[in-house]
Amino acid sequence: MKQELINLLKVDCQKSLHDYKDSLGVLQNKSILVTGGTGFMGKWIAESVLLLNQEHSFNIKLYILARNLLDYKEEVPHLAKQSFITLIEQDVRNVSNLPEDINYVIHAAGSPDNRKHATNPLKTIDTIYKGTHAVLDACLRLSALNKVVHISSNSVYGHIADHVDKIKETQMGALDCNSVNAAYSEGKRLSETVCAIYRNQQKLPIVIVRPFAFIGPYQGLEKPWAINNFIRDGILGGPIRILGNEETVRSYLYGSDMAFWLLKVLAGGKSGATYNIGGDESVSLKSLAAKVTSNFSQKIDVLVRYSKQYPPHPSVSIPDTRTIKTELKVSQVFDFEASLKKTIDWYKKIY
Amino acid sequence: MKAILISDPTLRDGNHAVAHQLSAKQIAVYCDAAEKASVPIVEVGHGNGLGASSLQVGEALETDVVLLETARAHLNKSKLGIHVIPGFATINRDLKGAIEIGVDVIRVASHCTEADITQRHLGYSREKGKETYGVLMMSHMASPELLVEEAQKMELYGAEGIIIMDSAGAFLPSDVTDRIEALVEGLSIPVGFHGHNNLGMGIANSVAAIQAGATILDGTAKGFGAGAGNAQIEVLVAVLQKMGYTTGIDMYKILDAADIAEREIMPLVPIIRSESIVSGLAGVFSGFSKHVTRISKEYGVDQRDVYFELGRRKVVAGQEDLIIEVVLDLVKNKKK
Repeated sequence: MKQELINLLKVDCQKSLHDYKDSLGVLQNKSILVTGGTGFMGKWIAESVLLLNQEHSFNIKLYILARNLLDYKEEVPHLAKQSFITLIEQDVRNVSNLPEDINYVIHAAGSPDNRKHATNPLKTIDTIYKGTHAVLDACLRLSALNKVVHISSNSVYGHIADHVDKIKETQMGALDCNSVNAAYSEGKRLSETVCAIYRNQQKLPIVIVRPFAFIGPYQGLEKPWAINNFIRDGILGGPIRILGNEETVRSYLYGSDMAFWLLKVLAGGKSGATYNIGGDESVSLKSLAAKVTSNFSQKIDVLVRYSKQYPPHPSVSIPDTRTIKTELKVSQVFDFEASLKKTIDWYKKIY
Repeated sequence: MKAILISDPTLRDGNHAVAHQLSAKQIAVYCDAAEKASVPIVEVGHGNGLGASSLQVGEALETDVVLLETARAHLNKSKLGIHVIPGFATINRDLKGAIEIGVDVIRVASHCTEADITQRHLGYSREKGKETYGVLMMSHMASPELLVEEAQKMELYGAEGIIIMDSAGAFLPSDVTDRIEALVEGLSIPVGFHGHNNLGMGIANSVAAIQAGATILDGTAKGFGAGAGNAQIEVLVAVLQKMGYTTGIDMYKILDAADIAEREIMPLVPIIRSESIVSGLAGVFSGFSKHVTRISKEYGVDQRDVYFELGRRKVVAGQEDLIIEVVLDLVKNKKK
């Protein structure tokens, strides 16, 4: 990766660190394990720890556990070569003995890529359930463990019958479990229950995080989410295709903001708590496409492809983030416009 | 007025009807005619799609490169489309080259219960910015519910629309209605239908699809296609016009294009032969017809028996090598 791009990531992390330095102090000289650490979350966490270590002498030791580390070493050598990072190549389902000095665990294994869920639904459930079970079991043997943060998903909310603008942590909706498409959501629901069992029976300190949508470098443009595809289509010169209901509403949190919110949960989250993580600003796909096109100098067409007339209330997946903001004092440093611009500028430099 | 997107696979499905022997000159002639008629998408290639020319399913007269470069040179407003079955077509060997030649529309197809195999090809096509569709072939072999699940996978993989093919010409209009309604309900993206005429239902089934919510239809000149042929594009355009839909296709010029196709590219205008009726009843892929006729004749068995046995075995496209096995079994049983 070019030094120019690495520098941009560092600047993002510096801004997202905001005023959290003191409250993150409990992480100083500690060891953190991130399972599934080669994904979007893991890379941004590593970037944020890199900043804390280099600029603020946090001396955090980071263990990155993942099934395949080859791509990681090639894609982010500036992280892989860091002396504070130890890479562990292992399938999360087979985790048994973890390094004894681990103090904190972020269990982020399990891809949110719904193409993989569709192709391998059984493996999806298997990885989520057995992976969570294996990691928590291994955590029982860590004498210096302070906390586990389990990364769940916004998909556990299912379909909320009443129209809501923002989803609270307590608003559980319905899931059609008799569907192959429910593999990931049901898997994540089950994993939360597994966490509750370990918390209750084994007294493990576990916090649940439910991530919504993110944006930024490290989120491949081939991923099956509208914003990634819109940016890719824009870079290719268009047209941008809106597939389905253009009034569908989402919100986005920038990668470096996400990483520091997660570190704040790690440092200050209460065992048993559940926190939504995501952006505040609601953006419809129609508006999103327009905003993407405005970041390019050339004219880019926008096509809408749909199969039917849609109901008046579109799909809304916006987190209510008051709990995490109130309890852990986090804030969204990069608003949506800035996040989008930064992401597009980043990918323009790569493509 | 509601718009219907018409895709014309005369130069792809029609290649089945001539054992994949369409020449570059014929491609050029029909592309010129389709361009004049403002056909939105002209699909070109071996009958089984990109990279399929082989001993197993039939060797094409022209290479994919010749077919596509010729078509590209004769299409301007009309988009150039290709049919891609992963396995026959690989990304590095076939798809990359086709994109370099300048195809506009890529339709990635699989048997109706095997959408999983399309992920990489659909993804690659979208990554290259191409108009990308998923196609579920032999769709009579799956229930509406299963079709929806398979189509949803293709939607996730990046398809901008899903077309179901009645590859065996086995559907009645009510079958089409059930499936299209389920797909429209279960998907966010447009739905389309590709009809075959084995039971004389090509146009009726296409109309049923539109009335159930489909917005994409396939049709070929004079129905030129595998087996009993496809829904006739010139009839489709006329019927849709009468029903109040727009296609953007010039009526007179598509009639001219169909006449040109009859004169220049087809040895015989498709008719519903008795074996095609049996093929439709048995639910056997129309692309098998040339092989079944030839092998049955060679071994002196009634090809209608061959179709029913192939149907009983639920053979699918790509299993052409089973035809000889079935024929030999019939010969053996006859001797007993």
